Amino acid sequence: MKKAEIEFTVNGKKRTLFVKTNELLINVLRNDLNLTGTKYACGIGECGACTVLLEGRPVLSCLTLAVDVNGKNITTIEGISKDGFDPVQKSFLKNAAVQCGFCTPGMILMAKSLLKENPNPTEDEIRDYLRGNICRCTGYTQIIKAVKECANNHNQDK
Amino acid sequence: MENKQFIAISKRFDIKNVGKVTGKEIYASDVNIPGMMHAVVLRSPYPHAEIKSIDLTEAEKTGAICISRDDVPDLIYNERIVSIPDKTYKDRTVLPKDKVRHTGEAVAAVAADTEETAFKALEKIKVEYKKLPAVFDIDEAMKPDTSQLYSYVYLGDKKIDIENNIACVRNISVSDIDKGFEEADVIVEETFNVQRIYHMQLETKSTVCVPEADGGITIWTTTQGIHNVRILLGEIFNIPLHKINVKRITLGGSFGSSIQMNSITPICVALALKAKSPVKLVMPREDDIYDHASYPLRTKIKIGAKKDGTLTAGHCKVWVEIGAHNIQAYPYLGCIAGWFASLYKWINIKYEGKAVYTNKTPTCARRGYGSPQINFPVENAMDILAEKLGMDPIELRLKNYVGKGDEFWGQGPTIKSIIRSCGVEEMLVEGSKLIGWDKRIPPSEKTGDIRRGIGVARGFHTSGTGGPNPGEVIDYSGATVKINEDGSVDVVTALMDHGGGTWDVAAKVAAEVLKVPFDKVGIYNGVDTRTTVFDVNTHATRGVYCGCGAVKLAAEKVKKILLNYAATLFKDLPENLELVCNEELGQAVVYPKGLPEKYKTVGEIAKTAQIKSWGTIAYTSSLRQKNCPPCFITYFTEVEVNTKTGQIKIPRVIMMGDSGTIMNPELWKGQIIGAFSQGIGLGYIEEIPYDTNTGKLKCNGFITDFKVLTTTEMPKIDDIKVLPAHTYEPTGPFGAKGIGEAALSAVASSFGNAVYNAVGIRFYDLPITPEKMLKALKEKEEKKDKKE
Repeated sequence: MKKAEIEFTVNGKKRTLFVKTNELLINVLRNDLNLTGTKYACGIGECGACTVLLEGRPVLSCLTLAVDVNGKNITTIEGISKDGFDPVQKSFLKNAAVQCGFCTPGMILMAKSLLKENPNPTEDEIRDYLRGNICRCTGYTQIIKAVKECANNHNQDK
Repeated sequence: MENKQFIAISKRFDIKNVGKVTGKEIYASDVNIPGMMHAVVLRSPYPHAEIKSIDLTEAEKTGAICISRDDVPDLIYNERIVSIPDKTYKDRTVLPKDKVRHTGEAVAAVAADTEETAFKALEKIKVEYKKLPAVFDIDEAMKPDTSQLYSYVYLGDKKIDIENNIACVRNISVSDIDKGFEEADVIVEETFNVQRIYHMQLETKSTVCVPEADGGITIWTTTQGIHNVRILLGEIFNIPLHKINVKRITLGGSFGSSIQMNSITPICVALALKAKSPVKLVMPREDDIYDHASYPLRTKIKIGAKKDGTLTAGHCKVWVEIGAHNIQAYPYLGCIAGWFASLYKWINIKYEGKAVYTNKTPTCARRGYGSPQINFPVENAMDILAEKLGMDPIELRLKNYVGKGDEFWGQGPTIKSIIRSCGVEEMLVEGSKLIGWDKRIPPSEKTGDIRRGIGVARGFHTSGTGGPNPGEVIDYSGATVKINEDGSVDVVTALMDHGGGTWDVAAKVAAEVLKVPFDKVGIYNGVDTRTTVFDVNTHATRGVYCGCGAVKLAAEKVKKILLNYAATLFKDLPENLELVCNEELGQAVVYPKGLPEKYKTVGEIAKTAQIKSWGTIAYTSSLRQKNCPPCFITYFTEVEVNTKTGQIKIPRVIMMGDSGTIMNPELWKGQIIGAFSQGIGLGYIEEIPYDTNTGKLKCNGFITDFKVLTTTEMPKIDDIKVLPAHTYEPTGPFGAKGIGEAALSAVASSFGNAVYNAVGIRFYDLPITPEKMLKALKEKEEKKDKKE
């Protein structure tokens, strides 16, 4: 398999890599860039654990070819806050929306994306937006609560 | 009940594992070692076949490192060593030596520089099989002329013959069952089936192994207990334990699936030893589904009661289809007997349990260890009995539950203790008020396409497996607590945290004893089997009660050392000193009683001890708890059945839990709600059926066709109420018991009872899928038409 040169921005940093043309983004992030916060849990786009933001929109890195992100912007869980914690991260810690933590990066990135699209989502809108992300520990309630609290805080800020 | 002001316990703090929200938390699958090879496993395409030959030649020509049966030790072992050796059945080797017994069983493995080259090499391995007839059903398996999985296995060191695929049997009797049924005015007798399901822990099982220069190995692996992995690897590979180091690492969900050493762990070790190179093996999800499943259970239950509702007898016959290996069926059968015996006062008990091999994925522990499986028959039978007696189901339960002062079987018949704290009555009474039990109407009075119903069920789990006398299960924990030179505290323990907050509780317990602010207590990974003392495993809901009990003991000893040093400084006696938390200083302080202004901070004392070379203020404990208090739960579930589609929604649920002192209020709730989601999955949609022609899972290993609940199926935030009973467990650390497994025990049962209350149909086989619901509704209509 031939390798192709790709240049993309990950968490604000320009990276140039040679990748196989069939290589998946998840493997490049985890193995080549050691960004292991992006999790493998199904490999077929069923669970959402490998979610990353591509140009600010959520994509499943297990179904995305690395060559497809050439020239684009990727944000992983490691890149959502430069110093300290982002409000969504804080809210997840405060509301115990994290148990084993394996689904958490995907959940947080989905929540970030939702709040960007819709700064004040209803509970049903949150549930609908996160329904592709599987969590086996929490039963989702505290995750939904954590996201909702961010929405409310956001409103208070205005 | 002890009433005191805690500084950390019961308080709400942000969870300690902050790495989980930043992507920095390292799980076994995230461990990357420079120069490591990647491993993949060749798995059997057949459910039962003799391995005629394995040819690795072509695969090895690619430069890959390959192993098969000749490259692994001959030792026959059981991957779960929680039970004592004499009660441990052993039937497996690292890779099968003679035949494969289930589809997906590992046959050979390959390590190469990349996963891709490893897969390419794997394709070149030639295995010649001779297919054998396979069995998938317990009745078929027990027939004398059926294909046998094993002719013999080992029980401890004793070779025992296996006949009719019966892996083990457990029969228990209390008093006189015949007399019990003679005394009964009403008898209920039914058969129930609870299906096997897949744990679906988010992290697939993974191992990284580094061979060391001295012939030893270092391991990172998904496990609930690092010491048992070390001991077992030592036995299998004949490496002295001081040369094996298993690192404690965060677990991406387990729910019982990693109570044993995982099947891939020794495979990874064998590859690394042969390659003389670090090797990483991460299971693809498709392999993981073929690696483990929960135990199913068929229960024939017969219970009897007098007209006034007093129970007189309980008889259970259970069959468990264990799949291709006996990982822990014997203790499982014992535990089911215990869960049965400890739910209600049957007075006269007969229990007959059989575990049967089949050519399916091996089953192992899953949250509750058989409790949800036996709870469903019992709690359904209790509702049937109440109806027959014309009695309210809550009244019947209140009359007969096993509670304070009664004997509790915490781990089958060999581990029992007396119940000292019990919130059953409070939960049944208060819960029924909250749900509006008095407004509940029988199904016969319900009309329309959408029908609602309310069901109750209660359950429990043990907190650990300790008893006044040691039984068949090994149970002790240990911890090192150390005050650092600035007054902060390190807690070092092998205790694992499934995500329920066990490590947070350990930190809280140390904070509470030493009066140190919670944020000054550290409990970090980076510890391992070399730096910690033995902790059996985080199973049996023992993390808080046993594991944190050991932390408390260590912290108390540390407090003594601290006060002795302080006494030297104050030129006073330790008993004349006071240790308190000074929140303004963010430190624990010591002062002579009555003279708070004369305080010295714990940091100053520790620093003085260092400068004056008195020594480190530290202690290492090892503790066996002598009780196994039950943590009780009671759930009231409301369902809404759509009789046109068969779909069921959950508009409302009240969940009450009795954990004694609640250590982490938010995570405690999270455990209960998470278990509710798993329990509704069990009750409503989850199953992993086999295609018996091919011996493969119908989902083919893909979770596309194994659905678990998502955000949209859960009740809304305000429609879920989780409330604690007000109890205090005198034998627990600061009055605490467990919650994790108890939380799942009665979910499917309350769901089933609610479905009955909605549509008047009793379901005996889980899950109650929309298809099954529609079929049952149709049959009910037809019966009604015939009558008319």
